[in-house]
Amino acid sequence: MELRKYLFRRLIEITIIFFVIMTILFLLFRLAPGDPVSRMVDPSMTPEDARHLISQLGLDQPLYQQYIIYLRNFFSGDFGVSFHYGTSVMGIIWDRLPNTAILFTTSIILSAFVGIFLGKIASWHKDKKIDTWLTLGALICHTLFLPWLALIMIWFFAYKIGWFPLNGILSPEIWIQTDACFFSKLIDVLHHLILPLATLFLIHFGSYLLIMRSSMLDTLKEDYITTARAKGLKEKIIRNHHAAPNAALPVVTSIALSLAFSINGGALTETVFSWPGIGRELVFAVSNNDYPLAQASFLLIAAVVLLSNFLVDILYAYLDPRIRY
Amino acid sequence: MKNFLKIKHSTLIAITISIVFCLSCKGENETDILKIGLAEEPRTLNVWLASDANSKKILSQIYQPLYMSEPATQKLIPWLAKEHPVYNPETISYTVTLRKAKWSDGTDLTSKDVVFTANIIKDFRVPLFASKWDFVKKVEIIDKQTVRFYLTKPMAIFLTRTLTGPVVQKKEWEKIVQIAKKKEKPLKTLLNHKIEKPVGSGPFVLKEWRKGSYLYLKKNTYFFGEGIIISGFKLGPFLDAIIFKIFGTSDVAILALKKGTIDMFWKGIQPGYLADLQQNSDIRIFFSEKSALYFMGFNLRKPPFNDINLRRAAAAVIDRNFIVSRILQNYGTKLFSIVPLENKFWCCQDVDHYCESHPRDKRILLAYKTLRNAGYTWKISPVDLDGNIVEGKGIRTPNGKPMERFTILTPPADYDPHRAMSGMIIQEWFRDLGIPAYSRPMSFGSLLQTVKTKHNFEAFILGYGKLSLDPDYVRIFFHSKNDKPRGWNMSGYRNPCFDRLADQSKTTIDPNQRKKLLFKMQKMISRDLPYIPLYTPKLIEAVRKGKFTGWVEMQNGIGNIWSFCMLKPDHHTKKSF
Repeated sequence: MELRKYLFRRLIEITIIFFVIMTILFLLFRLAPGDPVSRMVDPSMTPEDARHLISQLGLDQPLYQQYIIYLRNFFSGDFGVSFHYGTSVMGIIWDRLPNTAILFTTSIILSAFVGIFLGKIASWHKDKKIDTWLTLGALICHTLFLPWLALIMIWFFAYKIGWFPLNGILSPEIWIQTDACFFSKLIDVLHHLILPLATLFLIHFGSYLLIMRSSMLDTLKEDYITTARAKGLKEKIIRNHHAAPNAALPVVTSIALSLAFSINGGALTETVFSWPGIGRELVFAVSNNDYPLAQASFLLIAAVVLLSNFLVDILYAYLDPRIRY
Repeated sequence: MKNFLKIKHSTLIAITISIVFCLSCKGENETDILKIGLAEEPRTLNVWLASDANSKKILSQIYQPLYMSEPATQKLIPWLAKEHPVYNPETISYTVTLRKAKWSDGTDLTSKDVVFTANIIKDFRVPLFASKWDFVKKVEIIDKQTVRFYLTKPMAIFLTRTLTGPVVQKKEWEKIVQIAKKKEKPLKTLLNHKIEKPVGSGPFVLKEWRKGSYLYLKKNTYFFGEGIIISGFKLGPFLDAIIFKIFGTSDVAILALKKGTIDMFWKGIQPGYLADLQQNSDIRIFFSEKSALYFMGFNLRKPPFNDINLRRAAAAVIDRNFIVSRILQNYGTKLFSIVPLENKFWCCQDVDHYCESHPRDKRILLAYKTLRNAGYTWKISPVDLDGNIVEGKGIRTPNGKPMERFTILTPPADYDPHRAMSGMIIQEWFRDLGIPAYSRPMSFGSLLQTVKTKHNFEAFILGYGKLSLDPDYVRIFFHSKNDKPRGWNMSGYRNPCFDRLADQSKTTIDPNQRKKLLFKMQKMISRDLPYIPLYTPKLIEAVRKGKFTGWVEMQNGIGNIWSFCMLKPDHHTKKSF
């Protein structure tokens, strides 16, 4: 009953926060310098033509009217039309979102699994060689500059030894063939996925390893671990069944938030690997004052982050019996 | 267990073989497909909305104009039109006869399509085209292949700007236009219409656009130019298809070019990549002239740059030799007039060069004298009593007030390193004179809004990377009627004498007479200095050798329709010899 009440209160809070974010987003883009027409730098475009276009885009209306239209459209599920693409914003987002999700979600899950596993091992062998090497490796990978690492990976694995494609999500040479089978297309996408995935994995797994290691070290000092040892349980069981689930709580928060933020992709990764995801679109939309596209993308991110937090709260109660709302 | 292992091994082998097979699958005639790298994905294939360079690159293969520039002389030649237009001064009309051409769906391209295109632009006031059609009173169908344009008055840009626009198919757009006209916001509806498969009359037709990855253009079998000779070129296309691949960074695109994943990177290459590319024997590099203008502009509406003496002093201290040799690494041309030097017919070279060949000390001395004679004073003069150059400080304007610090706005270095660097170095040259200048990089959108709409600035550095060959922009940039928010007279230059010449140049059809007017206008600008022209960068492009031959070099690079109509796969060339 208490949990239900808590969740209901949290849902109301989330709704309020969402509307605050919506309003802030609306104002931020309108108050930011520049407008979508100012970048059309054709000298033959007269001020009158520019104003005509602005009026057609509805940007000449007072701010409050634009806000009312924005809210009305939101409630009717219409996120508008991109100023630069001339197509539905939701269409653009749904085009790009799966690409981002495939790459970033996979990389987070993979790096979380490996990070948690190696973190457990490192903490279990504290101050031994294996701990030193794993911690050092994690620290080095975690502090690498992503675009640099991405370029080095491309240069070595794609250009020098040619194991992987240089960029993109697919090879047009395969996809334009009318007789190309589903399997070959799937293999092609997976082939393209490996290099960006490996880069993201190298950058991310270190942080999970370090969080897990430090959390495990705290847990291993707990009385119930001593009790388990006194009972004569096997080391493996103590580590995996008694220590690890309790130490995983901070990692779970970190994974949940990373998964939530993974939908905005990473503009840098997507740019270097020419990965057609939502991160690049976001950067384009913001720098070109494409308000509908930028607003809808940020709203989507906000919604997913808020919901993820909500889910983490529920998950906490499930994972740790001591937590009760 | 043994059996299990056997199964496991055979499964693994089967998977490996199928992966290798799948990855080695290539098209049958892949050698006849040109692969081009684009720096960004085109935003739209709606010809009325497309304002970004990459959309225009794709659309230029699909939609064709009546006239276009020929590669060698840049002169206008008939393209979809059969011959040059016939002018009737009495009715102020031009009669254009069309070639026998077809759309990519096999239907005839007729005068109805030309009139329909004109009406769309006029009825909807399509922003990117409207000003080029304002003076067209009526467009009339004479017969299936002939069309007549009636003008309100003779207009110089009619041939060079109006008739060089794309022609669209009536059949494709008629329904959309009808629907749009009934809407509350017709233009918005027209611009937001999603074009999946544009019907064009160009050498290529869109086969597939996989968003974010590639565009696949197939040869248009109905292309009117195939096999005919225009401007000395027997046109193809000789390619089966073009694939445009999207690259996020130039670094990876250059690697792709070196590796052979693409045959051409359709974007100017920064000089920094040159040394590496020149070492590669598989790469051919082209250096082309650009019709581009990079300049420093001043706000003439307010102090301190409302004083012509300060602008002249600024022109004296700016060392174009340094900018071109150090910042552009010699891949550029010094610019002295508003019309780029590469535009040979219209560029007036007889303009003031403001200490072009002088060393630094002499520049500062001349600038100092100009300012001193105009009444400027210093706390520490930049030229001491012995005539030595020292660091000037505490400059005061002729009214005795200290000159307030001001900013030189530039685009950020990640947008254009050359302009950002130029701003920084000009700031230092100004400071040599004791002028408190500060270079400030600003996001491109904000910069444009500040200088074009708000007019809240002192100085800026901007550029036009692809100016039209017609110099009408000289009028547009400096006519006083364009000194308004969103107007192109960003400096706020007002000179009735210039306005008169500009108005005359607009309606003078005879090129030689117009040239005289344009030369006078350029001299006026060089004298009054609302803008200080700085440089025109060279366009550096790289392609793979050995796969395709026949690149056509012209102003603004090898990425032009002539190249795509003339390129032949290497095996094709070898067979024909």
